[in-house]
Amino acid sequence: MRQPGAYSNLLSGGKMGPHSLPLARIKKIMKKSGEDVKMISGEAPIVFSKACELFIEELTKRAWAMTLQRKTRTMHKEDVAAAVMETDIFDFLVGLVSHTPNPSATLES
Amino acid sequence: MTDGNERLLPIANVGRIMKKIIPPGAKISKDAKETMQECASEFICFVTGEASDRCLKENRKTVNGDDICWALTSLGFDNYSDTMLTFLHRLRDTRPTPTNKTILLCTTCTQHKD
Repeated sequence: MRQPGAYSNLLSGGKMGPHSLPLARIKKIMKKSGEDVKMISGEAPIVFSKACELFIEELTKRAWAMTLQRKTRTMHKEDVAAAVMETDIFDFLVGLVSHTPNPSATLES
Repeated sequence: MTDGNERLLPIANVGRIMKKIIPPGAKISKDAKETMQECASEFICFVTGEASDRCLKENRKTVNGDDICWALTSLGFDNYSDTMLTFLHRLRDTRPTPTNKTILLCTTCTQHKD
């Protein structure tokens, strides 16, 4: 039986709160990754929730460094693309960021 | 549109994580958030593929947390794997195992099972 807060505590470093990313969606994406992915343990999406958070944080940090180089205060997709290009472990994203559809470059705070 | 939504993490959640990193007053354009959504989905697929290959080689059907941690290290995300292994062990300590659950059920029902 699930204890309330047992998992959210793990994810938010002691603070109560929901997962930062929806587990059902993560599971769907995992299943779409390949025909061989048939069964996924209950803990795997929870682990991915944390891993994705770390990934997004790292890529954002690197993209922000690119934004600062452009001497502006708004991050655009070009900054994310530049961060991907200059980081070896993000090589798997090169194809994705170099061939993206027309962006909706709407400013948002 | 539904298909597209289902293959991406929600933009609000992604945007919230990104916002934690940038200074107050700084902005993130919608196209940057959308690109990050795509990158995050690709990350999940990339790591899952590696984890799934390991399961196939070991004749296992279920991808578990250890496989994800192993795949992260294998693909060069060493800096995540320490954090993830600690996280995974704490998760397992918190979560009742099938054995524990059976014992709990037995205690409740006052019946003995194997």
